[in-house]
Amino acid sequence: MTTLGRILVVEDDPNDVELTLIALGEYHLANEVVVTRDGQQALDYLYCRGEFHTRSNENPAVMLLDLKLPRVDGLEVLQQIKTDESLKMIPVVVLTSSHEEKDKMRSYKFGVNAYVVKPVDFHEFVDAVKELGIFWAVVNEPPPGSMKKLP
Amino acid sequence: MSDLEEPPQGVGVKRALARWNQELQRIRSPILRYGLSVACVVLALGLALALQHYQFRDVELPVLSLAIAIVTWYAGIGPSVLAILLSTTCFNYFFIEPVHSFAVSTKDLPYFFTFLAWAALVAWFSTVSRRIEEGLRLARDRLQTEVEHRAQRETEIRRLNRELAKRATDLDATNKDLESFAYSVSHDLRAPLRHLVAYSELLQKEASSSLDDKSRRYMQTILQSAKRMGNLIDDLLAFSRVGRAETQNNLVSLEQLVKEVVAELREETNGREVAWKIGALPVCYGDRSMLKLVLANLVSNAVKFTRMRARAEIEIGCVDEKNKHEVEMFVRDNGAGFDMQYVDKLFGVFQRLHLAEQFEGNGIGLATVQRIIHRHGGKVRAEGAVDQGATFYFSLPNAQDAVERIRHDHTGTHFGR
Repeated sequence: MTTLGRILVVEDDPNDVELTLIALGEYHLANEVVVTRDGQQALDYLYCRGEFHTRSNENPAVMLLDLKLPRVDGLEVLQQIKTDESLKMIPVVVLTSSHEEKDKMRSYKFGVNAYVVKPVDFHEFVDAVKELGIFWAVVNEPPPGSMKKLP
Repeated sequence: MSDLEEPPQGVGVKRALARWNQELQRIRSPILRYGLSVACVVLALGLALALQHYQFRDVELPVLSLAIAIVTWYAGIGPSVLAILLSTTCFNYFFIEPVHSFAVSTKDLPYFFTFLAWAALVAWFSTVSRRIEEGLRLARDRLQTEVEHRAQRETEIRRLNRELAKRATDLDATNKDLESFAYSVSHDLRAPLRHLVAYSELLQKEASSSLDDKSRRYMQTILQSAKRMGNLIDDLLAFSRVGRAETQNNLVSLEQLVKEVVAELREETNGREVAWKIGALPVCYGDRSMLKLVLANLVSNAVKFTRMRARAEIEIGCVDEKNKHEVEMFVRDNGAGFDMQYVDKLFGVFQRLHLAEQFEGNGIGLATVQRIIHRHGGKVRAEGAVDQGATFYFSLPNAQDAVERIRHDHTGTHFGR
Protein backbone atom coordinates (compact mmCIF):
# COMPACT_ATOMS: atom_id res chain seq x y z
CA MET A 1 0.00 0.00 0.00
CA THR A 2 2.56 2.53 -1.07
CA THR A 3 -0.15 5.04 -1.93
CA LEU A 4 -1.39 5.28 1.61
CA GLY A 5 0.57 7.99 3.33
CA ARG A 6 -0.18 10.21 6.26
CA ILE A 7 2.54 12.58 5.24
CA LEU A 8 2.68 13.90 1.69
CA VAL A 9 6.11 15.24 0.80
CA VAL A 10 6.37 17.38 -2.33
CA GLU A 11 10.06 17.77 -3.13
CA ASP A 12 11.91 17.77 -6.43
CA ASP A 13 15.47 17.40 -5.14
CA PRO A 14 16.36 13.68 -4.64
CA ASN A 15 18.88 14.57 -1.92
CA ASP A 16 16.30 16.51 0.00
CA VAL A 17 13.87 13.64 -0.39
CA GLU A 18 16.42 11.25 1.05
CA LEU A 19 17.33 13.59 3.90
CA THR A 20 13.69 14.18 4.72
CA LEU A 21 13.04 10.45 4.78
CA ILE A 22 16.09 9.90 6.99
CA ALA A 23 14.85 12.57 9.36
CA LEU A 24 11.34 11.11 9.48
CA GLY A 25 12.83 7.64 9.78
CA GLU A 26 14.43 8.63 13.09
CA TYR A 27 10.91 8.70 14.51
CA HIS A 28 9.70 5.74 12.46
CA LEU A 29 7.45 7.90 10.36
CA ALA A 30 9.14 7.12 7.06
CA ASN A 31 6.78 4.32 6.12
CA GLU A 32 3.84 6.68 6.27
CA VAL A 33 5.26 9.04 3.70
CA VAL A 34 4.26 9.53 0.09
CA VAL A 35 6.74 11.46 -2.00
CA THR A 36 5.72 13.39 -5.08
CA ARG A 37 8.35 15.09 -7.16
CA ASP A 38 6.55 18.12 -8.54
CA GLY A 39 3.39 20.18 -8.12
CA GLN A 40 1.51 18.37 -10.85
CA GLN A 41 2.16 14.97 -9.29
CA ALA A 42 1.15 16.30 -5.88
CA LEU A 43 -2.17 17.54 -7.25
CA ASP A 44 -2.67 14.21 -9.04
CA TYR A 45 -2.18 12.46 -5.70
CA LEU A 46 -4.59 14.78 -3.88
CA TYR A 47 -7.27 14.41 -6.57
CA CYS A 48 -6.65 10.63 -6.92
CA ARG A 49 -6.06 10.87 -10.63
CA GLY A 50 -3.42 9.70 -13.08
CA GLU A 51 -1.02 7.22 -11.47
CA PHE A 52 -2.87 7.63 -8.14
CA HIS A 53 -6.39 6.87 -9.41
CA THR A 54 -6.49 3.62 -7.48
CA ARG A 55 -5.71 5.02 -4.05
CA SER A 56 -8.37 5.40 -1.37
CA ASN A 57 -9.35 9.03 -1.29
CA GLU A 58 -8.55 10.10 2.27
CA ASN A 59 -6.54 13.27 2.64
CA PRO A 60 -3.02 13.14 4.11
CA ALA A 61 -2.64 14.27 7.73
CA VAL A 62 -0.06 16.85 6.65
CA MET A 63 1.66 18.00 3.52
CA LEU A 64 5.31 19.15 3.43
CA LEU A 65 5.55 21.40 0.41
CA ASP A 66 8.66 22.82 -1.28
CA LEU A 67 8.13 26.09 -3.11
CA LYS A 68 10.44 25.76 -6.07
CA LEU A 69 9.13 22.86 -8.09
CA PRO A 70 9.09 21.90 -11.77
CA ARG A 71 5.86 22.25 -13.77
CA VAL A 72 3.45 23.50 -11.09
CA ASP A 73 5.28 25.37 -8.34
CA GLY A 74 4.60 25.18 -4.63
CA LEU A 75 2.66 28.41 -4.33
CA GLU A 76 0.31 27.34 -7.13
CA VAL A 77 -0.25 24.00 -5.42
CA LEU A 78 -0.91 25.80 -2.14
CA GLN A 79 -3.39 28.16 -3.76
CA GLN A 80 -5.15 25.26 -5.46
CA ILE A 81 -5.47 23.33 -2.19
CA LYS A 82 -6.65 26.27 -0.13
CA THR A 83 -9.35 27.23 -2.62
CA ASP A 84 -10.71 23.69 -2.97
CA GLU A 85 -13.52 22.81 -0.55
CA SER A 86 -12.44 19.15 -0.26
CA LEU A 87 -8.70 19.90 0.21
CA LYS A 88 -8.56 23.19 2.12
CA MET A 89 -8.55 21.45 5.52
CA ILE A 90 -5.28 19.62 4.83
CA PRO A 91 -2.58 21.20 7.01
CA VAL A 92 0.12 22.45 4.65
CA VAL A 93 3.65 23.14 5.87
CA VAL A 94 5.91 24.97 3.45
CA LEU A 95 9.42 23.51 3.80
CA THR A 96 11.77 25.57 1.70
CA SER A 97 15.23 27.07 1.37
CA SER A 98 13.75 30.52 0.89
CA HIS A 99 14.08 33.18 3.56
CA GLU A 100 12.44 35.65 1.20
CA GLU A 101 9.81 37.84 2.74
CA LYS A 102 7.86 37.74 -0.52
CA ASP A 103 7.52 33.97 -0.34
CA LYS A 104 6.47 34.08 3.29
CA MET A 105 3.90 36.79 2.65
CA ARG A 106 2.38 34.98 -0.29
CA SER A 107 2.33 31.62 1.47
CA TYR A 108 0.53 33.05 4.47
CA LYS A 109 -1.88 34.95 2.24
CA PHE A 110 -2.83 31.69 0.56
CA GLY A 111 -3.44 30.22 4.01
CA VAL A 112 -0.39 28.07 4.74
CA ASN A 113 -0.44 26.45 8.19
CA ALA A 114 3.29 26.73 8.83
CA TYR A 115 6.38 28.03 7.05
CA VAL A 116 9.69 26.37 7.83
CA VAL A 117 13.04 27.35 6.34
CA LYS A 118 15.29 24.35 5.86
CA PRO A 119 18.25 24.90 8.17
CA VAL A 120 21.73 24.53 6.66
CA ASP A 121 22.86 22.53 9.66
CA PHE A 122 21.89 18.88 9.22
CA HIS A 123 21.06 18.29 12.88
CA GLU A 124 18.78 21.27 12.87
CA PHE A 125 17.22 20.04 9.64
CA VAL A 126 16.62 16.60 11.10
CA ASP A 127 15.16 18.12 14.24
CA ALA A 128 12.93 20.45 12.25
CA VAL A 129 11.55 17.72 9.99
CA LYS A 130 11.20 15.28 12.87
CA GLU A 131 9.29 17.79 14.95
CA LEU A 132 7.10 18.69 12.02
CA GLY A 133 6.35 15.03 11.43
CA ILE A 134 5.65 14.35 15.09
CA PHE A 135 3.51 17.40 15.57
CA TRP A 136 1.38 17.21 12.44
CA ALA A 137 1.18 13.45 11.96
CA VAL A 138 1.04 12.34 15.61
CA VAL A 139 0.26 15.12 18.09
CA ASN A 140 -2.12 17.14 15.99
CA GLU A 141 -5.65 15.85 15.55
CA PRO A 142 -6.14 15.94 11.79
CA PRO A 143 -9.42 17.13 10.28
CA PRO A 144 -12.08 14.42 9.77
CA GLY A 145 -11.59 12.55 6.53
CA SER A 146 -7.82 12.30 6.89
CA MET A 147 -5.92 9.06 7.11
CA LYS A 148 -5.86 7.63 10.60
CA LYS A 149 -2.65 6.58 12.24
CA LEU A 150 -1.91 3.02 11.34
CA PRO A 151 -1.98 0.68 14.28
CA MET B 1 -21.10 82.76 -51.12
CA SER B 2 -18.05 82.34 -53.29
CA ASP B 3 -16.64 85.77 -52.49
CA LEU B 4 -16.68 84.80 -48.82
CA GLU B 5 -14.47 81.84 -49.50
CA GLU B 6 -12.02 83.60 -51.74
CA PRO B 7 -9.72 85.95 -49.88
CA PRO B 8 -10.62 89.58 -50.59
CA GLN B 9 -8.27 91.01 -53.17
CA GLY B 10 -7.42 94.02 -50.98
CA VAL B 11 -5.82 91.84 -48.32
CA GLY B 12 -2.91 90.78 -50.53
CA VAL B 13 -2.17 94.36 -51.55
CA LYS B 14 -2.46 95.53 -47.94
CA ARG B 15 0.00 92.92 -46.82
CA ALA B 16 2.45 93.82 -49.59
CA LEU B 17 2.17 97.48 -48.63
CA ALA B 18 2.69 96.70 -44.96
CA ARG B 19 5.79 94.68 -45.75
CA TRP B 20 7.13 97.41 -48.03
CA ASN B 21 6.36 99.98 -45.35
CA GLN B 22 8.25 97.93 -42.78
CA GLU B 23 11.19 97.23 -45.08
CA LEU B 24 11.61 100.93 -45.80
CA GLN B 25 11.44 101.81 -42.13
CA ARG B 26 14.24 99.37 -41.47
CA ILE B 27 16.71 101.40 -43.60
CA ARG B 28 19.60 102.22 -41.33
CA SER B 29 22.23 103.71 -43.70
CA PRO B 30 22.45 107.51 -43.13
CA ILE B 31 23.37 108.19 -46.80
CA LEU B 32 20.19 106.49 -47.98
CA ARG B 33 18.05 108.23 -45.35
CA TYR B 34 19.38 111.73 -46.05
CA GLY B 35 19.32 110.96 -49.79
CA LEU B 36 15.63 110.08 -49.47
CA SER B 37 15.11 113.41 -47.71
CA VAL B 38 16.78 115.43 -50.50
CA ALA B 39 15.10 113.39 -53.29
CA CYS B 40 11.65 113.83 -51.76
CA VAL B 41 12.03 117.58 -51.41
CA VAL B 42 13.40 117.92 -54.97
CA LEU B 43 10.54 115.79 -56.35
CA ALA B 44 7.95 117.80 -54.39
CA LEU B 45 9.52 121.03 -55.57
CA GLY B 46 9.41 119.85 -59.20
CA LEU B 47 5.79 118.80 -58.82
CA ALA B 48 4.87 122.13 -57.20
CA LEU B 49 6.66 124.14 -59.91
CA ALA B 50 4.95 122.08 -62.63
CA LEU B 51 1.53 122.55 -61.04
CA GLN B 52 2.23 126.27 -60.74
CA HIS B 53 3.24 126.34 -64.37
CA TYR B 54 -0.19 124.95 -65.31
CA GLN B 55 -1.85 127.71 -63.28
CA PHE B 56 -2.88 125.58 -60.25
CA ARG B 57 -2.75 127.89 -57.26
CA ASP B 58 -1.43 127.40 -53.76
CA VAL B 59 -0.54 123.67 -54.06
CA GLU B 60 3.16 124.09 -53.21
CA LEU B 61 2.59 124.09 -49.44
CA PRO B 62 0.62 120.77 -49.20
CA VAL B 63 3.01 119.11 -51.67
CA LEU B 64 6.10 120.10 -49.66
CA SER B 65 4.36 119.11 -46.41
CA LEU B 66 3.64 115.69 -47.95
CA ALA B 67 7.33 115.35 -48.80
CA ILE B 68 8.30 116.26 -45.21
CA ALA B 69 5.76 113.76 -43.84
CA ILE B 70 7.06 110.96 -46.07
CA VAL B 71 10.67 111.69 -45.09
CA THR B 72 9.78 111.80 -41.38
CA TRP B 73 7.87 108.56 -41.66
CA TYR B 74 10.52 106.59 -43.46
CA ALA B 75 13.85 108.22 -42.62
CA GLY B 76 13.55 109.48 -39.04
CA ILE B 77 14.16 112.71 -37.22
CA GLY B 78 17.51 113.88 -38.76
CA PRO B 79 16.44 113.63 -42.42
CA SER B 80 13.09 115.20 -41.53
CA VAL B 81 14.83 118.28 -40.08
CA LEU B 82 16.88 118.46 -43.30
CA ALA B 83 13.67 118.16 -45.36
CA ILE B 84 12.04 120.97 -43.34
CA LEU B 85 15.05 123.25 -43.84
CA LEU B 86 15.29 122.43 -47.57
CA SER B 87 11.61 122.84 -48.27
CA THR B 88 11.46 126.06 -46.24
CA THR B 89 14.34 127.41 -48.31
CA CYS B 90 12.79 126.27 -51.58
CA PHE B 91 9.40 127.62 -50.57
CA ASN B 92 10.99 130.91 -49.72
CA TYR B 93 13.02 131.01 -52.94
CA PHE B 94 10.43 129.83 -55.45
CA PHE B 95 7.03 130.77 -54.11
CA ILE B 96 7.25 133.78 -51.79
CA GLU B 97 7.44 137.29 -53.16
CA PRO B 98 9.96 138.48 -54.20
CA VAL B 99 10.37 135.23 -56.13
CA HIS B 100 13.90 133.88 -56.80
CA SER B 101 15.37 135.56 -53.73
CA PHE B 102 15.75 134.50 -50.09
CA ALA B 103 14.33 137.80 -48.82
CA VAL B 104 11.07 137.53 -46.89
CA SER B 105 8.66 140.46 -46.82
CA THR B 106 7.03 141.22 -43.46
CA LYS B 107 3.55 140.47 -44.72
CA ASP B 108 4.59 136.95 -45.73
CA LEU B 109 6.20 136.19 -42.37
CA PRO B 110 3.04 134.68 -40.67
CA TYR B 111 2.46 132.50 -43.73
CA PHE B 112 6.07 131.40 -43.62
CA PHE B 113 6.02 130.62 -39.88
CA THR B 114 2.74 128.75 -40.15
CA PHE B 115 4.36 126.48 -42.75
CA LEU B 116 7.36 125.99 -40.51
CA ALA B 117 5.14 125.15 -37.50
CA TRP B 118 3.01 122.82 -39.59
CA ALA B 119 6.10 121.03 -40.88
CA ALA B 120 7.55 120.75 -37.36
CA LEU B 121 4.24 119.35 -36.03
CA VAL B 122 4.09 116.72 -38.78
CA ALA B 123 7.68 115.80 -38.08
CA TRP B 124 7.00 115.56 -34.35
CA PHE B 125 3.89 113.37 -34.75
CA SER B 126 5.68 111.08 -37.12
CA THR B 127 8.62 110.74 -34.78
CA VAL B 128 6.39 109.89 -31.84
CA SER B 129 4.50 107.37 -33.90
CA ARG B 130 7.76 105.90 -35.16
CA ARG B 131 9.09 105.61 -31.67
CA ILE B 132 5.97 103.84 -30.47
CA GLU B 133 6.08 101.52 -33.44
CA GLU B 134 9.74 100.83 -32.85
CA GLY B 135 8.98 99.94 -29.26
CA LEU B 136 6.16 97.65 -30.31
CA ARG B 137 8.35 95.99 -32.87
CA LEU B 138 11.08 95.43 -30.31
CA ALA B 139 8.58 93.97 -27.85
CA ARG B 140 7.19 91.72 -30.53
CA ASP B 141 10.67 90.51 -31.49
CA ARG B 142 11.52 89.87 -27.86
CA LEU B 143 8.31 87.95 -27.43
CA GLN B 144 9.05 85.90 -30.48
CA THR B 145 12.53 85.02 -29.23
CA GLU B 146 11.02 84.18 -25.88
CA VAL B 147 8.46 81.91 -27.50
CA GLU B 148 11.18 80.23 -29.53
CA HIS B 149 13.32 79.76 -26.43
CA ARG B 150 10.40 78.35 -24.55
CA ALA B 151 9.62 75.93 -27.34
CA GLN B 152 13.28 74.89 -27.34
CA ARG B 153 13.26 74.42 -23.61
CA GLU B 154 10.08 72.44 -23.81
CA THR B 155 11.60 70.13 -26.39
CA GLU B 156 14.65 69.78 -24.16
CA ILE B 157 12.48 69.00 -21.14
CA ARG B 158 10.51 66.49 -23.11
CA ARG B 159 13.73 64.85 -24.28
CA LEU B 160 15.10 64.71 -20.73
CA ASN B 161 11.80 63.31 -19.52
CA ARG B 162 11.96 60.58 -22.10
CA GLU B 163 15.52 59.82 -21.07
CA LEU B 164 14.53 59.75 -17.43
CA ALA B 165 11.63 57.43 -18.13
CA LYS B 166 13.95 55.14 -20.04
CA ARG B 167 16.47 55.17 -17.23
CA ALA B 168 13.73 54.42 -14.72
CA THR B 169 12.65 51.46 -16.83
CA ASP B 170 16.25 50.28 -17.09
CA LEU B 171 16.68 50.65 -13.36
CA ASP B 172 13.48 48.77 -12.77
CA ALA B 173 14.71 45.97 -14.99
CA THR B 174 18.07 45.91 -13.22
CA ASN B 175 16.32 45.80 -9.87
CA LYS B 176 14.16 42.92 -11.05
CA ASP B 177 17.26 41.10 -12.26
CA LEU B 178 18.92 41.69 -8.93
CA GLU B 179 15.87 40.49 -7.10
CA SER B 180 15.61 37.31 -9.12
CA PHE B 181 19.35 36.84 -8.63
CA ALA B 182 18.99 37.14 -4.88
CA TYR B 183 15.98 34.86 -5.00
CA SER B 184 17.86 32.30 -6.97
CA VAL B 185 20.82 32.50 -4.57
CA SER B 186 18.44 32.09 -1.71
CA HIS B 187 16.84 28.99 -3.19
CA ASP B 188 19.38 27.30 -5.37
CA LEU B 189 22.71 28.04 -3.75
CA ARG B 190 21.59 26.94 -0.36
CA ALA B 191 20.28 23.53 -1.42
CA PRO B 192 23.62 21.98 -2.49
CA LEU B 193 25.21 23.49 0.58
CA ARG B 194 22.67 21.85 2.85
CA HIS B 195 23.33 18.57 1.10
CA LEU B 196 27.06 19.01 1.53
CA VAL B 197 26.63 19.50 5.25
CA ALA B 198 24.02 16.82 5.64
CA TYR B 199 25.87 14.08 3.78
CA SER B 200 29.16 14.95 5.48
CA GLU B 201 27.47 14.58 8.81
CA LEU B 202 25.84 11.35 7.76
CA LEU B 203 29.21 10.09 6.59
CA GLN B 204 30.79 11.17 9.84
CA LYS B 205 28.10 9.36 11.77
CA GLU B 206 28.23 6.16 9.71
CA ALA B 207 31.99 5.90 9.22
CA SER B 208 33.59 7.74 12.13
CA SER B 209 34.71 4.47 13.69
CA SER B 210 36.61 3.43 10.57
CA LEU B 211 38.21 6.88 10.01
CA ASP B 212 41.61 7.87 11.37
CA ASP B 213 42.26 11.19 13.07
CA LYS B 214 43.45 12.88 9.92
CA SER B 215 40.35 11.88 7.94
CA ARG B 216 38.13 12.96 10.81
CA ARG B 217 39.84 16.37 10.79
CA TYR B 218 39.24 16.63 7.02
CA MET B 219 35.58 15.84 7.54
CA GLN B 220 35.43 18.46 10.25
CA THR B 221 36.97 21.05 7.96
CA ILE B 222 34.51 20.25 5.17
CA LEU B 223 31.66 20.72 7.61
CA GLN B 224 33.01 23.94 9.05
CA SER B 225 33.65 25.42 5.63
CA ALA B 226 30.21 24.52 4.38
CA LYS B 227 28.62 26.06 7.44
CA ARG B 228 30.72 29.14 7.03
CA MET B 229 29.59 29.44 3.44
CA GLY B 230 26.02 29.07 4.61
CA ASN B 231 26.52 31.97 6.99
CA LEU B 232 28.09 34.05 4.24
CA ILE B 233 25.15 33.43 1.96
CA ASP B 234 22.71 34.30 4.72
CA ASP B 235 24.57 37.51 5.50
CA LEU B 236 24.79 38.47 1.87
CA LEU B 237 21.10 37.88 1.38
CA ALA B 238 20.30 39.88 4.50
CA PHE B 239 22.47 42.67 3.16
CA SER B 240 20.73 42.65 -0.19
CA ARG B 241 17.36 42.64 1.58
CA VAL B 242 18.34 45.83 3.42
CA GLY B 243 18.66 47.52 0.05
CA ARG B 244 15.42 46.18 -1.36
CA ALA B 245 13.03 46.16 1.57
CA GLU B 246 10.34 48.79 1.81
CA THR B 247 11.03 51.11 4.71
CA GLN B 248 8.42 52.25 7.18
CA ASN B 249 9.37 55.61 8.51
CA ASN B 250 8.35 56.86 11.90
CA LEU B 251 9.75 58.96 14.68
CA VAL B 252 12.25 56.71 16.44
CA SER B 253 13.89 57.35 19.80
CA LEU B 254 17.52 56.39 19.38
CA GLU B 255 17.96 56.39 23.15
CA GLN B 256 15.32 53.68 23.46
CA LEU B 257 16.95 51.71 20.64
CA VAL B 258 20.38 51.87 22.31
CA LYS B 259 18.88 50.61 25.56
CA GLU B 260 17.32 47.65 23.76
CA VAL B 261 20.51 46.88 21.87
CA VAL B 262 22.67 47.01 24.99
CA ALA B 263 20.21 44.79 26.85
CA GLU B 264 20.30 42.25 24.02
CA LEU B 265 24.11 42.16 24.18
CA ARG B 266 24.10 41.37 27.88
CA GLU B 267 24.82 37.72 27.21
CA GLU B 268 28.02 38.59 25.36
CA THR B 269 29.20 41.08 27.97
CA ASN B 270 28.54 38.72 30.86
CA GLY B 271 31.69 38.17 32.92
CA ARG B 272 33.39 41.15 31.32
CA GLU B 273 33.89 44.59 32.73
CA VAL B 274 32.28 47.03 30.37
CA ALA B 275 31.94 50.70 31.25
CA TRP B 276 28.95 51.97 29.30
CA LYS B 277 28.64 55.69 28.82
CA ILE B 278 25.42 56.54 27.04
CA GLY B 279 24.73 60.21 26.38
CA ALA B 280 21.50 61.91 25.43
CA LEU B 281 20.34 60.83 21.96
CA PRO B 282 17.82 62.51 19.72
CA VAL B 283 14.57 61.30 18.19
CA CYS B 284 15.06 60.58 14.52
CA TYR B 285 12.81 59.91 11.59
CA GLY B 286 13.36 56.54 9.96
CA ASP B 287 12.69 52.83 9.85
CA ARG B 288 12.86 51.50 13.40
CA SER B 289 14.09 47.97 12.68
CA MET B 290 16.73 49.22 10.25
CA LEU B 291 18.04 51.85 12.65
CA LYS B 292 18.14 49.22 15.34
CA LEU B 293 20.22 47.05 13.03
CA VAL B 294 22.64 49.97 12.63
CA LEU B 295 23.04 50.38 16.38
CA ALA B 296 23.18 46.63 16.96
CA ASN B 297 26.01 46.30 14.42
CA LEU B 298 28.01 49.21 15.79
CA VAL B 299 27.57 48.35 19.45
CA SER B 300 28.23 44.63 19.01
CA ASN B 301 31.36 45.56 17.04
CA ALA B 302 32.46 47.71 19.96
CA VAL B 303 31.84 44.82 22.35
CA LYS B 304 33.66 42.38 20.06
CA PHE B 305 36.74 44.51 19.44
CA THR B 306 37.24 45.38 23.13
CA ARG B 307 37.33 41.71 24.12
CA MET B 308 41.04 41.79 25.02
CA ARG B 309 40.69 44.81 27.30
CA ALA B 310 40.50 44.23 31.03
CA ARG B 311 38.07 47.11 31.19
CA ALA B 312 36.15 47.92 28.03
CA GLU B 313 34.92 51.46 27.61
CA ILE B 314 32.08 51.99 25.19
CA GLU B 315 30.59 55.42 24.70
CA ILE B 316 27.48 56.17 22.68
CA GLY B 317 26.48 59.76 22.16
CA CYS B 318 25.50 62.60 19.96
CA VAL B 319 27.95 65.09 18.44
CA ASP B 320 27.21 68.73 19.27
CA GLU B 321 25.54 70.16 16.25
CA LYS B 322 26.92 72.82 14.02
CA ASN B 323 24.70 71.80 11.14
CA LYS B 324 21.04 72.19 12.03
CA HIS B 325 19.80 69.92 9.25
CA GLU B 326 21.32 66.72 10.51
CA VAL B 327 22.30 65.07 13.74
CA GLU B 328 25.42 62.95 14.14
CA MET B 329 25.72 60.08 16.55
CA PHE B 330 28.83 58.12 17.48
CA VAL B 331 29.84 54.81 19.04
CA ARG B 332 33.33 54.90 20.56
CA ASP B 333 35.36 52.06 22.04
CA ASN B 334 38.83 51.53 23.45
CA GLY B 335 39.34 48.28 21.54
CA ALA B 336 41.62 47.02 18.79
CA GLY B 337 41.01 50.04 16.56
CA PHE B 338 42.25 50.14 12.98
CA ASP B 339 44.81 51.79 10.77
CA MET B 340 43.37 54.99 9.27
CA GLN B 341 45.16 54.02 6.06
CA TYR B 342 42.42 51.45 5.45
CA VAL B 343 39.49 53.60 6.50
CA ASP B 344 38.04 53.49 2.96
CA LYS B 345 37.81 49.72 3.08
CA LEU B 346 35.99 49.68 6.37
CA PHE B 347 32.48 50.02 4.99
CA GLY B 348 32.94 47.72 1.97
CA VAL B 349 31.12 44.41 1.64
CA PHE B 350 33.17 41.46 2.90
CA GLN B 351 36.05 43.75 3.82
CA ARG B 352 37.82 42.78 7.00
CA LEU B 353 40.78 44.40 8.69
CA HIS B 354 41.41 41.59 11.17
CA LEU B 355 42.06 37.88 10.87
CA ALA B 356 39.13 35.57 11.41
CA GLU B 357 41.08 33.91 14.26
CA GLN B 358 41.33 37.24 16.06
CA PHE B 359 37.80 38.46 15.60
CA GLU B 360 35.02 36.44 14.02
CA GLY B 361 32.67 37.96 11.46
CA ASN B 362 32.00 38.17 7.75
CA GLY B 363 32.72 41.83 7.12
CA ILE B 364 29.17 42.64 6.28
CA GLY B 365 28.07 44.55 9.39
CA LEU B 366 29.53 47.93 8.54
CA ALA B 367 28.45 47.59 4.90
CA THR B 368 24.92 47.07 6.17
CA VAL B 369 25.27 50.09 8.46
CA GLN B 370 26.39 52.25 5.57
CA ARG B 371 23.62 51.03 3.33
CA ILE B 372 20.90 51.74 5.87
CA ILE B 373 22.26 55.17 6.74
CA HIS B 374 22.54 56.10 3.05
CA ARG B 375 18.98 55.01 2.50
CA HIS B 376 17.99 57.37 5.29
CA GLY B 377 19.84 60.23 3.62
CA GLY B 378 22.70 60.25 6.13
CA LYS B 379 26.43 59.63 6.10
CA VAL B 380 28.87 57.32 7.90
CA ARG B 381 32.51 57.81 8.82
CA ALA B 382 35.06 56.33 11.16
CA GLU B 383 38.11 57.38 13.09
CA GLY B 384 40.60 55.18 14.82
CA ALA B 385 44.18 54.07 15.36
CA VAL B 386 45.70 50.64 15.84
CA ASP B 387 45.24 49.55 19.47
CA GLN B 388 43.79 52.96 20.35
CA GLY B 389 40.13 52.19 19.81
CA ALA B 390 37.74 53.33 17.13
CA THR B 391 34.88 55.77 16.76
CA PHE B 392 32.09 55.24 14.25
CA TYR B 393 29.90 58.18 13.32
CA PHE B 394 26.57 58.15 11.51
CA SER B 395 24.42 61.11 10.68
CA LEU B 396 20.70 61.28 10.04
CA PRO B 397 18.56 64.13 8.75
CA ASN B 398 16.99 66.23 11.48
CA ALA B 399 13.63 64.69 12.41
CA GLN B 400 11.87 68.04 12.05
CA ASP B 401 13.34 68.54 8.56
CA ALA B 402 12.48 65.03 7.51
CA VAL B 403 8.87 65.33 8.64
CA GLU B 404 8.56 68.69 6.87
CA ARG B 405 10.05 67.22 3.73
CA ILE B 406 7.60 64.33 3.79
CA ARG B 407 4.75 66.77 4.20
CA HIS B 408 5.92 68.72 1.17
CA ASP B 409 6.53 65.90 -1.25
CA HIS B 410 4.30 62.95 -0.66
CA THR B 411 6.98 60.35 -1.17
CA GLY B 412 5.96 58.68 2.10
CA THR B 413 7.66 55.36 2.44
CA HIS B 414 10.29 56.10 -0.20
CA PHE B 415 11.93 58.80 1.83
CA GLY B 416 15.67 58.71 1.90
CA ARG B 417 16.23 56.56 -1.13
